[in-house]
Amino acid sequence: MSTVDQSHTYSEGAEGFRTEEMILNMGPQHPSTHGVLRLVLQLEGETVTHCTPVIGYLHRGIEKILENRTYMAGIRYMDNADYLSPMLNETAYAGAVEQLMGIEPPRRAQYIRLITNEMQRITSHLVAVGTYLLDLGAFTPVLYAFRDREGVLDLFEQLGGSRFNVNYMRVGGVLHDLPSGWLGRLETWLDAFEKSWKEFDVLITGNEIFMKRTQGTGYISPEQAVAYGVTGPIARASGVNYDLRVNNPYDAYREIAVRPVIRYDGDAFGRYMVRLYEMKESIRLIREAMSKLPGGPICTRTPIELRPPRGETYFAVESSKGEQGIYLISDGSEYPYRAKMRGPSFVNLQIVPELMRGHKMGDVVAILGSIDLVLGEVDR
Amino acid sequence: MDLIPSMPLPPTPSSAHTGTAANQQELRAVLSTFGSQATIPMVVKMLPGGIPSLEVAAEHVYNVALYLRDQLQFDLLTCVSGVDMKTHLEVAYHLRATSQNLLMQLKAKLPPKTTVIDSLIGVWISANWLERETYDMFGVIFSGHPDLRRILLDDMFTGFPLRKDFQTTPAVLHDRATTQTEPQQAVSGDQLRGLGANRSNANVFSQGDQERLHPGTPTFGHTQFHGHSFPTQTWKHTLQHEQEEQQKAAEKKKE
Repeated sequence: MSTVDQSHTYSEGAEGFRTEEMILNMGPQHPSTHGVLRLVLQLEGETVTHCTPVIGYLHRGIEKILENRTYMAGIRYMDNADYLSPMLNETAYAGAVEQLMGIEPPRRAQYIRLITNEMQRITSHLVAVGTYLLDLGAFTPVLYAFRDREGVLDLFEQLGGSRFNVNYMRVGGVLHDLPSGWLGRLETWLDAFEKSWKEFDVLITGNEIFMKRTQGTGYISPEQAVAYGVTGPIARASGVNYDLRVNNPYDAYREIAVRPVIRYDGDAFGRYMVRLYEMKESIRLIREAMSKLPGGPICTRTPIELRPPRGETYFAVESSKGEQGIYLISDGSEYPYRAKMRGPSFVNLQIVPELMRGHKMGDVVAILGSIDLVLGEVDR
Repeated sequence: MDLIPSMPLPPTPSSAHTGTAANQQELRAVLSTFGSQATIPMVVKMLPGGIPSLEVAAEHVYNVALYLRDQLQFDLLTCVSGVDMKTHLEVAYHLRATSQNLLMQLKAKLPPKTTVIDSLIGVWISANWLERETYDMFGVIFSGHPDLRRILLDDMFTGFPLRKDFQTTPAVLHDRATTQTEPQQAVSGDQLRGLGANRSNANVFSQGDQERLHPGTPTFGHTQFHGHSFPTQTWKHTLQHEQEEQQKAAEKKKE
């Protein structure tokens, strides 16, 4: 027995030594958090023992703003919530007001909504996949992704006058009809994108470094996904067969069947694959909607100052990140009494501490990127 | 490409011609029978869009939630939203049954002037952050919640902003950290701390005015602008006053 006083040294663990616990602040200014997310990581050597997300750095009080805006003026604030998929958010808000008023947009408007929504889904997934690969150290895919995304943004600009905050949806339909030649340009872009989709597939899927880093990283079981309220591509990568376009179809999805992309991996690689194949499915949906595009009006005759009857309703669309829901209460005036946004990123972020626990520090970015958060919608 | 696991075949197209209205109607009937058989008072309504709604008092919400989860398979808590009805607070829960494509709303009414309700985190884990957000915005206290803190707003924030009686324009100005308090001079925020009481100004009501009267705002020699007289007692005077007092106190101690 040694008689040396060891009280001043670290206590010994099973492996003969023990590392000191460290608390590491990641963010809010960090390139791989894609915004102003702050993670307080508790590290035991290289292993994450605890993770606390700190949010609210981008809180603008959109729900309070909506209470002071007329129904038509509120649509514009949806763009700022999830700024990577404004069209989908606008559809949710416009759809909620329509449901409250009991009106249905004309068929042509529904089809235009479907086309723009699926285009937006492609752009959102492109950003998700491209920046995810950028986080993992591959620089090329993000350039490809943003090149393809540019085409959609140009088309949106021709459609609504703006690239990002399109403000295109209206209660009862859409703002403008498709400009002449727009469908042809969309067709051209789709053809080009189908080729670059294959490029993506060849470039990323099957890359050994990528697979090693993502397969088995951040596993979510289906039961866990449902319990944590996770929706969207993350839940579908875990084998939860739930897609609002299929299970609770709205607008033109009642006529155009969606084949949901389901995988049973549950890890970061599965989430990437779901996003990739959802882009392909979106291409198919856009083509089908273009071939079936009916004529007629693009908007019902709704006044600018809407006064929905007293009541409440909940309407949700399948956004690129999950269920984007709007809970609206009307008191009969032209301002909503309460407008609650159910953002998919906010709920999906809840599961991140569970995923981080026990992983190495290097996997933190790999897990966080696979969740595809948009902090504008987490903080609202 | 053999490394890639093969994609499972997509299920047959099912979204078309599968309206969920019939199911929602059945759900409403089930809820009505539940409401009539249960001993607690309930209100069953049909919201626009065919969403059944169940209204219960706040004290029964936990048991009703357990029934909905275990007997009716509502396994996904989607959304928790607080509502300020001016006379009382309400909490609305939106639930989904993923196996049956059902959506419903559970609404808990709090008694007037109370803010306490049972937390549903033991029923659905996803209630964790959703309830924290409701607490943050409405001040609803979820008893039994393990970590009821503000989530979106600052910890130092006072009041609950989505309540209807919340004043969006402050009547009292608070100190702000600033680095540029005068042109050509930088002073840390510490030196400005403790001056808040002196700068409270009940006549200032808008954010723009607040910014204009901020001690860091350079005035470039002007004493009046935008119809307001510039406060004569600025932070600098107060600082000087404080320093003089400290000096006096020090001298007294010496004596």
